[in-house]
Amino acid sequence: MNFSKFDRSRLIPVLFLCAAIAAALSCGGGQKETGEETGPVTLTYWQTYNDDENALFAELIEEYQATHPGVTIQTTRLPFMGAEPKILTALATRTTPDIARVDGSFVPKLATRNALMNLDEIGPGDIKQDLHPVALSSCLVGGVTYALPEQVNGLCLFYNKDLFRRAGLDPEVPPETWDEFIAMGKKLTDQEAGVFGFGMRNSLWWTFPFFNTYGAHFLNEDGTRCVLNGPQGVEAFQLKVDLYRKYKIEGGGWRAGGVRDDMGFQNGKYAMIFSGPWAVKTLQAAEIDFGVGLIPRGPVGTSTNVGGNDLVIFRSCQIPRAALEFLTFMASEQVQTRWANRLGQIPVNIRAEKHLDFGKHPYLKVFVEQMKTAIPRPSIADYDELENIMNPEMQAALDGTKSVQKALDDAVRRINREVLGAAD
Amino acid sequence: MTKGAGGTGRRIKAGQGTRKTYTSPSKSRGAHLSGRHLRAMLLYISLILGAVVVLFPFFWMITTALKQPGQAYSLQLLPDRPTLDNFRRILADYGFARYFLNSIIVATSAAFLATLFAALAAYAFAKKRFLFKRQLFLFLLASLMIPGMMYMVPQFAIVSQLGLMNTYAAMVLPHLANVFGLFLMKQFMESIPSSLLDSSRIDGASELQVFRHIVVPLSLPVIATLFLLTFQFHWGNFLWQLIVTNKESLYTVPVGLAMFRDAHEELVTLKMAGAAISIIPIGILFFFTQRLFIEGMTKGAVKG
Repeated sequence: MNFSKFDRSRLIPVLFLCAAIAAALSCGGGQKETGEETGPVTLTYWQTYNDDENALFAELIEEYQATHPGVTIQTTRLPFMGAEPKILTALATRTTPDIARVDGSFVPKLATRNALMNLDEIGPGDIKQDLHPVALSSCLVGGVTYALPEQVNGLCLFYNKDLFRRAGLDPEVPPETWDEFIAMGKKLTDQEAGVFGFGMRNSLWWTFPFFNTYGAHFLNEDGTRCVLNGPQGVEAFQLKVDLYRKYKIEGGGWRAGGVRDDMGFQNGKYAMIFSGPWAVKTLQAAEIDFGVGLIPRGPVGTSTNVGGNDLVIFRSCQIPRAALEFLTFMASEQVQTRWANRLGQIPVNIRAEKHLDFGKHPYLKVFVEQMKTAIPRPSIADYDELENIMNPEMQAALDGTKSVQKALDDAVRRINREVLGAAD
Repeated sequence: MTKGAGGTGRRIKAGQGTRKTYTSPSKSRGAHLSGRHLRAMLLYISLILGAVVVLFPFFWMITTALKQPGQAYSLQLLPDRPTLDNFRRILADYGFARYFLNSIIVATSAAFLATLFAALAAYAFAKKRFLFKRQLFLFLLASLMIPGMMYMVPQFAIVSQLGLMNTYAAMVLPHLANVFGLFLMKQFMESIPSSLLDSSRIDGASELQVFRHIVVPLSLPVIATLFLLTFQFHWGNFLWQLIVTNKESLYTVPVGLAMFRDAHEELVTLKMAGAAISIIPIGILFFFTQRLFIEGMTKGAVKG
């Protein structure tokens, strides 16, 4: 009866504690033997693919097993939402699989708790230089490679072509700068009809495109202090606040009880939203006539945030070389080309970009272009903690109960003190 | 009595003027009653509003589950062309029939066994005398103060060591000793007169017969309550079922629903159909046991 209500915020720290104790106990013997494995081996792999990805993955596994006799890949499919607590519980009881597909923000958490194999010690070889730098960045913790990227994405600007036409705008020309964005937003907004130029979310990850187009740095150069409350950070976030409060072109999608951006976009309530490759299929299924453009340019040009999934090898793995070979296969030019062309996703291998079928996936061209200027989120073990601190402060600024400068100052002070352990 | 007074008050009020001496007090009583009615009306209005707020998400879930896929986010209250296809697809094409069966097996067996064990233990604690009874009960009660999530890792370690991973037993076994249920039942069973048990013993009933033919029938409200609560807990339990299974064929409805939700952002109508299916057993169970359930929840509470 006691944990009928799944309280993630309380559960995760408990699991981490258990996982940390288990990891500390298990790492006494130093590194595992990483010599050549012989004989038939089975690699256990926990993954979180959707149905389309899963179907393609099944084909790839079959081919991999055919070309690697003696290797069997045994997969378990998990709901994305439950993967983290399941992995942490398994970690605490030393029953982790050999490989898992995890969110990029989870890699530093696992790595700093000594749960992952240091891939540099096994030798990922030349594949690293072929990988997209921003995708690879989420795999590195303190300069050490703890994962190989498997999927990368970031936000772009999605716009409703019907609403553009109705407002007398060219449906093939999305705004290129923030000034154009505001001007078009005003034309698109019709408060009486309940239509707004923009619908947005309020969380740190969803706000990075603003910060990044203004050249605001989250951390200082040596990564010891948060400096987001500098002039660029304030200016960037002031723009986000102004879209709602001053220009009134944002429909309040971020508020509790507000119409969420993706739903409002489908209902024709918001003419523009930020979204990524994952939304394309949903919008096409809903028969929305939409276009995708780059995030509007700020003082330092266009830019976006980075999300995605990485493949990690746990320390419990007895056959790390075989596991790494499989990771390398998944990040290879061939697999990434097939993955991108079948599913319309951004490849993590740069070499795959020249094989992309933009005729079949017209939006993919924009996504790939956008990723060239993407900036990864800060590599901090407790990334979630940054969200927990930033989001209420940003909300206060959007509500108008705090000035932008004060909200960012307060957030930065707490991050420095509570997350980075830096003195005030 | 109140009703009669109210009726008289209204009659006198209607005839005021003819019996002048009574006008004044009956007027005040009439005014008092209309105030009472007003309060009742306000109460009902607020209850109706509360019911609408609570029930609307369920209504929205069902109406969305009946919509055509393209209309998933339309704000229409009722679908243009209602369809049951979403239910068919989620059950047949996405494995929900299997998840549903798994959930039924796990929730029913766990609820039955947990209730049985709690009833047996509660009978002993309520009606038997044994050494350290009070201390043992307090010790068990103290375990309620430990957050459930603290048990999860050790329980998982035990289940894993016993080689029970990927079995129904792994989902059911760790939750069969239910201290909350024991407490609920003990409080209830203490209200059964011991003389009743003694007289049946004098008539030659064995301990098991006393339990089966006297204690269980008299405790039916609390048994039904505990069964329902345990069933509901196991039916909705997501994390434990996910942790102890690595095979899709053993996933229960909450795990299947979470996986479906994450994997199919675009299939909103199907998600709603899956969610609608997931509440059916709880709805049916509560519908048939609600009288016993309310009795069971309140009776234990007022025991002196």
